[in-house]
Amino acid sequence: MFSQLKSRFGSSLAVGIIGMIAIWLIGLVILPQILMVDYSFRPNLLPADIGGPNDTYSLMNYETLFSNKIHLAIFFKTIWSSVLVTSLTLVVSYPIAFYLAKVATPQKAALCLLLLIIPFWINEILRTFSWYIILAYKGPLNALLLGLGIIDRPIRFLSGDGGVLIGMVYAYILFMIFPIYNAIESLDANQIKAARNLGAGWIRTHWRVVIPHAKPGIATGCIMTFMLAAGSYAVPALLGSPGSRWFTQIIYNWFFEGGDWNQGAAYAFLLLIICIGFIALVMRVFKVGLGDIAK
Amino acid sequence: MDSSVHLDNTIMQFGEFTAIQQTDLTIKSGEFFSFLGPSGCGKTTILNMISGFIDPTQGDIKIGGKSMRGVPANKRPTSMIFQNLALFPLMTVAENIEFGLEVRGVSKSERKKASDRLLELVALEGSGNKKVSELSGGQKQRIAIARALAVEPQVLLLDEPLSALDLKLRQHMRTELKAIQRKTGITFIYITHDQGEALTMSDRVAVMSAGRIQQVADPITLYRDPHTAFVASFVGENNGVPGKVIEANSGLVVLDCGPLGKLTGRSQGNIAIGTDATLFIRPEHFRLQAEDGMHTLRATIDEVNFEGAYLTLNANTPANLPLSIQLGTHQFSESLKKGAPVSLSYNQQDAIVIAGGGHV
Repeated sequence: MFSQLKSRFGSSLAVGIIGMIAIWLIGLVILPQILMVDYSFRPNLLPADIGGPNDTYSLMNYETLFSNKIHLAIFFKTIWSSVLVTSLTLVVSYPIAFYLAKVATPQKAALCLLLLIIPFWINEILRTFSWYIILAYKGPLNALLLGLGIIDRPIRFLSGDGGVLIGMVYAYILFMIFPIYNAIESLDANQIKAARNLGAGWIRTHWRVVIPHAKPGIATGCIMTFMLAAGSYAVPALLGSPGSRWFTQIIYNWFFEGGDWNQGAAYAFLLLIICIGFIALVMRVFKVGLGDIAK
Repeated sequence: MDSSVHLDNTIMQFGEFTAIQQTDLTIKSGEFFSFLGPSGCGKTTILNMISGFIDPTQGDIKIGGKSMRGVPANKRPTSMIFQNLALFPLMTVAENIEFGLEVRGVSKSERKKASDRLLELVALEGSGNKKVSELSGGQKQRIAIARALAVEPQVLLLDEPLSALDLKLRQHMRTELKAIQRKTGITFIYITHDQGEALTMSDRVAVMSAGRIQQVADPITLYRDPHTAFVASFVGENNGVPGKVIEANSGLVVLDCGPLGKLTGRSQGNIAIGTDATLFIRPEHFRLQAEDGMHTLRATIDEVNFEGAYLTLNANTPANLPLSIQLGTHQFSESLKKGAPVSLSYNQQDAIVIAGGGHV
């Protein structure tokens, strides 16, 4: 890589580029992570005791999660809800991605993509707040449903899992749509025609031809959405509390309210391990390799 | 079984653009029928209408006498071979062939039997477990044919399926397609811009231009008796000489062709005196020696090309109209060289006069 950069930019610039990447990777990614790993295995001590006889490595911080029933429940709830968010986002995104890639005219597709992207120019917190307003007990959605006579009394969307699910599906939909859209777009339109021509209905055409082709895109979308959902803080904090707590909120509390960084680091790593496990599982289920996802 | 295809006063419009002008055409059951025309003439649109990917704006498509209006693509008794074949790359060869049967709920063992039988028909026994990517171009071609035949269609639609193959394979596949058509008795509808393919394989050919069928005839009639100037110049090579009609009787027309003098030919349709018309002479109909009743043009040789069995000459006339001439190699002589004058004779029965003048 260095020789390539050198031949293109000259040696001083090449050293500069590699150096900056190295500083970024080592200083901002690897070192802090190692520090956190170190923290997570040590007890939370007063500054005076750090380095003293009590400062020994143990699994104590990791064990806390399994002895605290509430935290454990929230941990699994977070994983389960993230799976749910991922599935819901997939169900919503797949038809949109297919429409954009294969049905819409180029002009319509461009317009739709623009309409999808524009809201994402706004900060995630503000977007989530807009859902806070929409979903409020006396908000516009309830007013609409009441007005249409679909419900008799307002639904309490917020302070529960429903609001969090809706908010998250919306927050991460682009991360699902784009990989799937890219994958489907590369499918030869004649493949769909051939399947139809041989007698396949729409469901079978998708199941046997479009989805197998789009699998790497679906896997990428699922992984991104799951990671973002499991690691989300703003959406559950705004749309879910106090009824629905997310594991990230517990981690936050350990760090900034409990002041116990060691405990927080251990929790954060447990979440990371589960997420990596999920990625491995998704890749196994969809039979895709890292190379397919990087495409 | 009746597997005729009837385009019943069909019109196809896309917005303002009329892709297919009003067309009424019957393709007979068991016929090998070709649509021949340059790209953009609407031949693929016709295929898409028959297969059900689009519905005609007006009129109807009838297959075996049954209206296909509103019948979706997956419910029609047609099967298509795509230009790029569109084999499913993530399925094995056998899965590709069996796909249509799988859709119809045929049992696994029956499907296996069918795919084995079809692989034998296309001479690829035992390659059922191969991946599509492991096949050569010609083999892919055969698998596409097998896959299309597996669903036992009444009508097989072929969208320039040979265009991706090299010349030799293409010629071989022509013979093979024709043989499969005879064996199965299915109506074949073939789309191509390659007149060689259309003329060698088809029972009948429809020549298309700008969304309109110009002529429907068997290949020999098409070549000998073109009805329009487009057919005359698109099918085979032709020399068009424009002129004004000065005499017309008993099927013969005399044109005043300016500096080329008066030329006579067989009239195609009714041609009135005083109108513009074009005289078409095929390159192989020119002779160097005039015989009785022949007409003669004077020209200068621009180029002589030796092609083996025959010679082609490019010549220019006093009217600055280039002519192309084809002679048997035995007619070669040293006097045929660039810049030499040449007198070209033709038999008036070999020339055809078609109404309309100007460019060809």
